[in-house]
Amino acid sequence: MRRILEIDGEEIPVWLAATGRGHVLHMKGREIPCALEAAAGKGAWTLLLDGARIPMRIAVGEGATFIHVNGRAHAIGRTDPAERLGNTAGASQDRMIAPMPGVVVSVLAAAGDAVTEGQALLVIESMKLETTITAPRDGIVAEVPFATGASFGGKEVLLRLEPQEETV
Amino acid sequence: MTARMSIRKLLVANRGEIAARVVRTARAIGIRTAVLRHPAEVDAPAHRIADEVVTIEGATPVAAYLDIAQITALAGRIGADAVHPGYGFLAENAGFVRALDAAGIVFVGPTGDVIDLMGDKVRARRFVEERGFSVAPSAIEDDNPEDFVQRARAVGYPLLIKPSAGGGGKGMRIVRDAARLEAEIETARREGERYFGDGRLFVERYIENPRHVEVQVLGDGRGNVVHFWERECSIQRRFQKIIEETPSPALTPGQRREICDAAAGIARAVNYRGAGTVEFIRAPDGAFHFLEMNTRLQVEHPVTEMVTGFDLVGEQLRIAAGQPLGLRQEDIAQTGHSIELRVCAEDADADFRPAIGDILLLDEPAGPGVRVDSGILDGGRVTTDFDPLLAKLIVHGRDRDEAIARARRAAQDCVILGVTTNLAYLDAILAHPRFRSGDVSTGFLAEEAEALQQGRDPAITDILAAATVLSDARLVKAVDSVPEIYRMMGSWRN
Amino acid sequence: MRRMESHVRPDSAEFKAASARMQEVVNRFREMQHKARHDRPQRDLDRLRRQNKLLARQRLDLLLDPGTPFLEFSSLAAHDLYDGQAPGANIITGVGVIAGREVVIHADDSTNKGGAWYPMSVPKIVRALEFALENELPVVHVCDSAGGYLEEMSGVFTPGGRVFRNQCILSKRGIPQVAIVCGHCTAGGAYVPALCEHTIIVRDTGAIFLGGPPLVKAATGEEVSVNDLGGADMHTSVSGTGDYPVDSEEAGIALAREIVGTFPRRPRAFDWAAPEEPYYDPGEIYGIVPTDYRIRFEMREVIARIVDGSRFHEYQPNYGTTLVTGYARIWGCKVGILGNNGVLFNDSSLKAAHFIQLCNQTGTPLIFLQNTTGYMIGREYEERGITKDGAKMLMAQAGSEVPKLTVLTSGAFGAGYYGMCGRAWDPRLIMSWPNAQMGVMGPEQAARTLGDVKLAQMRRADPHLSEDSVQELRDRVRAKAESETSAYWFTSRLHDDGMIDPLDTRNMLGIALSCAAGVAPGAPHYGVFRM
Repeated sequence: MRRILEIDGEEIPVWLAATGRGHVLHMKGREIPCALEAAAGKGAWTLLLDGARIPMRIAVGEGATFIHVNGRAHAIGRTDPAERLGNTAGASQDRMIAPMPGVVVSVLAAAGDAVTEGQALLVIESMKLETTITAPRDGIVAEVPFATGASFGGKEVLLRLEPQEETV
Repeated sequence: MTARMSIRKLLVANRGEIAARVVRTARAIGIRTAVLRHPAEVDAPAHRIADEVVTIEGATPVAAYLDIAQITALAGRIGADAVHPGYGFLAENAGFVRALDAAGIVFVGPTGDVIDLMGDKVRARRFVEERGFSVAPSAIEDDNPEDFVQRARAVGYPLLIKPSAGGGGKGMRIVRDAARLEAEIETARREGERYFGDGRLFVERYIENPRHVEVQVLGDGRGNVVHFWERECSIQRRFQKIIEETPSPALTPGQRREICDAAAGIARAVNYRGAGTVEFIRAPDGAFHFLEMNTRLQVEHPVTEMVTGFDLVGEQLRIAAGQPLGLRQEDIAQTGHSIELRVCAEDADADFRPAIGDILLLDEPAGPGVRVDSGILDGGRVTTDFDPLLAKLIVHGRDRDEAIARARRAAQDCVILGVTTNLAYLDAILAHPRFRSGDVSTGFLAEEAEALQQGRDPAITDILAAATVLSDARLVKAVDSVPEIYRMMGSWRN
Repeated sequence: MRRMESHVRPDSAEFKAASARMQEVVNRFREMQHKARHDRPQRDLDRLRRQNKLLARQRLDLLLDPGTPFLEFSSLAAHDLYDGQAPGANIITGVGVIAGREVVIHADDSTNKGGAWYPMSVPKIVRALEFALENELPVVHVCDSAGGYLEEMSGVFTPGGRVFRNQCILSKRGIPQVAIVCGHCTAGGAYVPALCEHTIIVRDTGAIFLGGPPLVKAATGEEVSVNDLGGADMHTSVSGTGDYPVDSEEAGIALAREIVGTFPRRPRAFDWAAPEEPYYDPGEIYGIVPTDYRIRFEMREVIARIVDGSRFHEYQPNYGTTLVTGYARIWGCKVGILGNNGVLFNDSSLKAAHFIQLCNQTGTPLIFLQNTTGYMIGREYEERGITKDGAKMLMAQAGSEVPKLTVLTSGAFGAGYYGMCGRAWDPRLIMSWPNAQMGVMGPEQAARTLGDVKLAQMRRADPHLSEDSVQELRDRVRAKAESETSAYWFTSRLHDDGMIDPLDTRNMLGIALSCAAGVAPGAPHYGVFRM
């Protein structure tokens, strides 16, 4: 119901509601009744807005909508706020937790190091298997609690990254 | 025209719009065609209309299109008796010409020696100067490093210092004050060493507010040369043309004849074979100097075709087939006015950064006097593998005003969705008063950068936002899945 | 259905004066409600900002589908209890729309006292969960409570179990629950997320534990951080008490919305048509209903301003005329309406019992518009069996299987309150207008009766009781009776599901009907009607 649009570099949170009389776009504190009618031709539509009938061509891309109107093409960034936030769900991105007890074979990063996604940070040995722990994302190493040769218990934090800056 | 044609099968060693352009003419005159395709490429118009599509291999698509050995072998394998190089890639590569010669395959273009000569900017310039054509005053350090500074002084101000090994504007310095010359030479030398590991320099007179005027020539290699009049190509960004037109609004009939005759003379001097372009730099006072000769078909050749009515690719193929030039200069007239717009995948508001994306919707303009040379298909993809030229919109009108009006209509009607293009920027140029009056120079786009910025019309924000949300099927479905009574109640709270 | 004909004259001076009086009553309610919702100590607001937490109502706005309604329950709960320290009992409950689905929401309101649970918080949550059970609606719990308010712990402890019991029953019936743990869930509160099918925990601010770090230290000497003891990552990767860790409340809310979006959509029972606004202006209810419950008004005029198109098919218009019965649509849903238009006599009681059975036979939801001073008393009526006729109404209520909704529009007294589907007869919702009064009898009657009894006792002790003392006693008894019959007293103690502006009645009923429509009513069966 909500979307974050990016129009010419400006981020505009909007939401769409359906009333008894049609759709209403809520944007910047305003309510804009609008409707879109299919027209002949690929991607051809007529937008009804403010009493005007505006012909346009529309192509809906993965994260952006492309609109050709009044002789000009526009790319409008389109984000579902849930998608933006949703990708932080799931496993922790900040803490690497030991899957089982083991021994640290080598430590490849120290607190304060800037690391990139996929970079090897630690090599551990558990259950006779060596496993390389890699960075789940770009970031700064906050803490590496275990030194080479140290043994750790299951579920212990093996390495922690600094919390991620708010990214827009 | 077709009767004595000895080319039966033509391999087009190029891609994009020019490949399709060449194939169209070849098909029209009964030549079988083959085009190339790298596995990383998506379908393009040429692939649809050519008789044969041949796969070429290469670490990158560009490397494949530059692979002389492979393309030569391919041409032989498929039985092509001629290769058209288009522009770019191997179009001005003498090694390619010689490889084809060795394989007994015709290269549609000039000889390797002419390519070599014109490809060496210093040699070309000297060749032209020695035959009495005007070149900008200059001094080349290599000629005699001892008196370089004195010779440089004699060139006159303002002057431009360039690294001999340079390119892309790096290390170039403009000197307006004689007292600064030696210091600037030293700075330029250090920069040359730093950028190119080569501190050698040359200087030439710097023309302020120049125009770029070029002349289309055609020769048969048997001493016959004609010109197809000039093209004005001053609308450039980052030293690359994006709008070309003919006739040039700057030339008087006398100047036009003078510059065109000079071009034909230069071509005649090298006994030119095929289509070529002689480029001049024209000073505001009307003086013009030879800049370089491009020994190939130019991107902007269609504007010439529009005003002269000739098919330059057809002429190229005739000559490549060994036919003599069957044209007299007086057969070639300029009728009306033509403008070409280069539609590129780039963001004009972000320093012309190349744009990539999928072409989700393509609808090319049409109508009287409108020609589209397109290299893309609906559903295709634009990558950074190649240069950003997507298509060319070429219009023809009775006069310049009608051509501008048609060009604007074509730019506005051209629908390319899914990838950022410079269409709105091109339209803004066409609408600019200086362009309309013809008062431009190669610095025009930089000088008017601000005026040409794509300002947002605030009224359009509502339209764009509404269209975006209403065309978002997932969003509309979610909204419409709200039970009717809640939709009608809206944000009611008790 | 035919359009009703209204006989009120909104232009008349009397109507306008009456309307102004009701407007004042509503204004007073709105002010109190606004205070209860938004008036918060700056200290609490500062603390939330420091903790990077959203306010409870901001969370609600993000959670609900934009542009859709939210029906809040019991906004004035506990408003006159605990020295006014627990507005709304520190809980927000209600029903709203998430991902196009009706969902019951229980949100701890940490903008006050850290969202601590007071004794009244418990029935408020329990009621919301009952609503979810009866209507088979999923529940989203937004957990952010400091736990049971220690000074009132005894009042929370025993009834508190019902919260968890209802959660278990919901799960047993296959009705899913989602918890977004935005704050600490300690001790009993820990079971709220633990009993949900989907538990989201916000990193660093959300935590679940039976005993918090201070208690752990006191009990075992172990020193452990909040995150290590019960944080998002521990619970979602080690204990399995939670399911999804998220980095922010916004992310948690977005995830909860996504989860609700996977719940199945429900079929729709009852007879629905396209909704139609009332023909007569609902705003005129203010001029129609007097603020004094002792003054009679025409219930049909109220019905005309609540139902679709003001269309009403009246059943038995000439029998038992002190009770209006008939069919109408509210937001498109066909309902049977029973409205008091005077005291309940034998015939009006029989009419009610009959109509309730009729609606049950056709599966039509019932709306009770209460304005009753009770059943008629006196020798004649007793002889005619007024009590057994009233009992028939109660028996019909108890046997009814269709959803029932009750609105207290003015008076709600005596057994009439029971017969017209009072709280004990399980209306899906029962809500009061701010002018309503309720009780065993009217405050004057109560004051007189109680005063007489007390006075007689005192006179026996002191035959020379002064007139002043007599007056003082009468005043005191009367004041107490008045306060305890006011709708505010009742709503504060969860005797209803909230006070509403009369103008909100139509939407309230519409939402409740839409919620109820997800469950097809069973076959009615009754006990023995005393004939």
